[in-house]
Amino acid sequence: MAENYLPILVIFVLAAGFAFVSLIITHLVGPRVTNAVKMMPYESGVDQVGKTRIRFSIRFFLIALLFIIFDIEIVFLYPWAVVFKDFLSAGSFIFFEMVVFLAILAFGFIYVWRNGALEWE
Amino acid sequence: MDISQFFTSADLFGIAPEIILTVTALSVLTLEMLHVSRPGIILMVAALGLFLAGALAINTSGDEQILFGGMLVLNRFSVFFDFLYITIGLLTLIFSQGYLEKRGSASRGEYPALILFAIIGMMLMTRANDLVIVFLGLELLSLSLYILVGFLRHDQLSNESGLKYLLLGAFATGFFLFGAALTYGAAGTTNYNGIVTAITNNTILSDTYLFLGIGLLLIGFAFKVALVPFHMWSPDVYQGAPTTVTGFLCTAPKAAGFGALIILFNRAFVDIHYQWQDIFWILSAMTMTIGNISALIQHNVKRMLAFSSVSHAGFLIMGILVLNETSISAVLFYLVVYSVVNLGAFAIVSAAEQEERGLNLKDYRGLAAQHPWLSAAMTIFMLSLAGFPPTAGFVAKFGLFSAAVSQGYIGLVIIAVLNTLISIYYYLRLVVNMYMQKEESTLILSYKMLAIVFVGLIAIMMIILGITPGYLLEIVTEAASTVA
Amino acid sequence: MDLLGFIIILVKVLVVFAATMITVMGMIYAERRVSAFMQGRLGPNRVGPKGLLQPIADGIKFFMKEDLIPSGADKPIFILAPAILLIPALMTFAVIPFGSSITIFGREIALQVADVNVGILYILALTSIGVYGIVLAGWSSNSKYSLLGGLRSSAQLISYELAMGLAVVSIILLAGSLRLNDIIADQQGYFLSWNVFKQPLAFIIFLVAVYAETNRLPFDLTEAEQELVGGYHTEYSSLKFAMFFLAEYANMITAAALTVTLFFGGWDVPLLDESSLGLLGAILSVLSFILKMAFFLFLFIWVRWTFPRFRYDQLMRLGWKVLLPLALVNIFLTGGYLTLTAMK
Repeated sequence: MAENYLPILVIFVLAAGFAFVSLIITHLVGPRVTNAVKMMPYESGVDQVGKTRIRFSIRFFLIALLFIIFDIEIVFLYPWAVVFKDFLSAGSFIFFEMVVFLAILAFGFIYVWRNGALEWE
Repeated sequence: MDISQFFTSADLFGIAPEIILTVTALSVLTLEMLHVSRPGIILMVAALGLFLAGALAINTSGDEQILFGGMLVLNRFSVFFDFLYITIGLLTLIFSQGYLEKRGSASRGEYPALILFAIIGMMLMTRANDLVIVFLGLELLSLSLYILVGFLRHDQLSNESGLKYLLLGAFATGFFLFGAALTYGAAGTTNYNGIVTAITNNTILSDTYLFLGIGLLLIGFAFKVALVPFHMWSPDVYQGAPTTVTGFLCTAPKAAGFGALIILFNRAFVDIHYQWQDIFWILSAMTMTIGNISALIQHNVKRMLAFSSVSHAGFLIMGILVLNETSISAVLFYLVVYSVVNLGAFAIVSAAEQEERGLNLKDYRGLAAQHPWLSAAMTIFMLSLAGFPPTAGFVAKFGLFSAAVSQGYIGLVIIAVLNTLISIYYYLRLVVNMYMQKEESTLILSYKMLAIVFVGLIAIMMIILGITPGYLLEIVTEAASTVA
Repeated sequence: MDLLGFIIILVKVLVVFAATMITVMGMIYAERRVSAFMQGRLGPNRVGPKGLLQPIADGIKFFMKEDLIPSGADKPIFILAPAILLIPALMTFAVIPFGSSITIFGREIALQVADVNVGILYILALTSIGVYGIVLAGWSSNSKYSLLGGLRSSAQLISYELAMGLAVVSIILLAGSLRLNDIIADQQGYFLSWNVFKQPLAFIIFLVAVYAETNRLPFDLTEAEQELVGGYHTEYSSLKFAMFFLAEYANMITAAALTVTLFFGGWDVPLLDESSLGLLGAILSVLSFILKMAFFLFLFIWVRWTFPRFRYDQLMRLGWKVLLPLALVNIFLTGGYLTLTAMK
């Protein structure tokens, strides 16, 4: 079982090695001429206006919250989908069980939709 | 694959009240979603759901049932609590309507829905036979309450208290979960029956873990029912929350917390309960004393009632300290009286509350001249909270004290009696303000007729229960006998 | 695990890794040439025959460029962000079977780096780590363009991850396993046994979500040169910038491979039993896999020059209000169909 993951460990070492070697090389090679103006964050060629840590739309938070809810739904759906065919021999219970689960979530989804949490205007 | 090894239709019938309440809450949200313009309809649907759930709960009463493979236990005790929650929920809904309209958020259908969700959570807490289910119920309750407390979105105090409650409540949840995890580590199970077996067979892995686990669980509960020194959140939250929510907050969750605590210590930790008696003794003495002394110096009525509810939790802990059939039935009686009286008192406070402003004691001056009946009801509530005969509060306190005395906790009972005497001062201060002072500015009360009828009914009931408590005593004794 | 086994693993890892790198280079070349042809230009044709060495020249140029770290940037995060994005992107291909199996030295070798029983989960988990790279890159740059790009990008990625995850559920329902080999085995045989014919709706949802997940047009809102300059990698230069591009192309390759695996029978050659043909069958299967993958890689470029970019509100509407409900309905229909057929 754990043996199957050995190649993944190997490829992780390889990928991480590649990434970090690149980071080190880019640090060592290449010219380095700095001055204050050059190091300024890019803002269409003018001096930075205000701070970067600006307030941004609340919708991003809403999306993040909704994502967590539906991602957890998916977490529940995967094991259900895997055992679905095995349980079908015992009748349609497994199907309707998930229908109830999905119906409650679908209700939440409609609620969110109706209350305008998905609008980007 | 056999489904019945997971659950049967009997399990589903057992949780029928919860299912009904869930469906009701979702329908209420649907109505809100469809922008049904009349808020009365939403409240009516919610009330109907509560009635239906109550009817189903009474249907399932009878013999003890074990559901979902030992996760839930249904008995008279849990049914008693189901009824208590449903009653509190109904009264809250009735009292809320006028208040929410006054504060400009009447049409929000989320309000009754959240109350329904909170009730489902509390039902799970007192039906639970497993720490995981208690946690599930506790979270469902807490999450609903966090939102309810901050329900007045344009009110700064409400927002502040919602955030405070969320932060401290999340902290308390952490304590509870750590406690559950350590208990699981020590006993190898989260099931109450399994824990008892582990303790009696002495297969506990580590007594230290179990001790720590119980301690942390207790801290989690202490946060939720506001026991000193974990009561710090309560005055701010009680003051900032919408007044009707405060009424709900200081009654139902407290009942659920004590119900779950009784089951926990009476079922899971029954053999080691004696090790914890000192701690309960200290908790009880500290909670009632500090709660009372803090209440003495409050001017804001909501804050005063908040501290008074802290001190009442101290009295209730006495019942868990003793933990026999008499004391449990006394706790149940006390919870009923305390909850109903508090709801009534908060209903009057919410009716008297002016726009954007909580009321101080002196704002009530001269209320009796304008509203004699409401003032009379308020007086009965205050007397009942203080424990004067012939109100029900006297019977409740008497039951608790005598249960404690019979087990030899004379010292604690003396402290409790002294505290009762102190509490008379601040309860009567409100009455004195209403009756014996000249008014400074006229209070304009706003209320719905239905709410006033129920306030009157509660007041009359408190007197009747104070004179002939027999009927309720029978019920609570029967409920207590199923767990003791 | 003996030495030979470990060497085989090492060889497979190196082959896959090198193949990914070469395909990335090929993609960069193809992207520029195909784009040019679609626009009636020639594209890069000076470096090497037909400009074939252009990607290598690009790579060398990246080495020689100055590595800038803007003032006020959160340095450790700024430096680590490209690695956080690149490492998972290079790792995802590991679980995808790219051929049946060959027999060398008397042992059967599956043409797949790692045969794990939660293959799909592995891919979804790793691709979602990439979001951290993007959002951290945007946040640590201390530039408003980067911050907005990173925010938009993370919101877009998590939104379409839902649709993608739900579309895959219906495939799992059919296969009854999260192992990619089982899913391919489920599609073996006659032509119409491919999932694209059994699950057309899931395929469309998945394909659209894949374009959003890889930040490709018409969903490249994160870069959106015209409004956000370069999105989350505005402030990056030199090899760090190259790493972002490498990660993007590596993700495209994995996405194409995953689409083939889930919906087009993987390495399956229609109407052919590969295992009975021995080595020839294995070679055919690898060829079939490469051909199908190449088509989807070409599709990426084709789509890029066919569709205009979405507006951000349109993007969110498509993800949340169209794809997500459709995916839920699809699960319901698939489950219902399976239940009905089982009851008979």
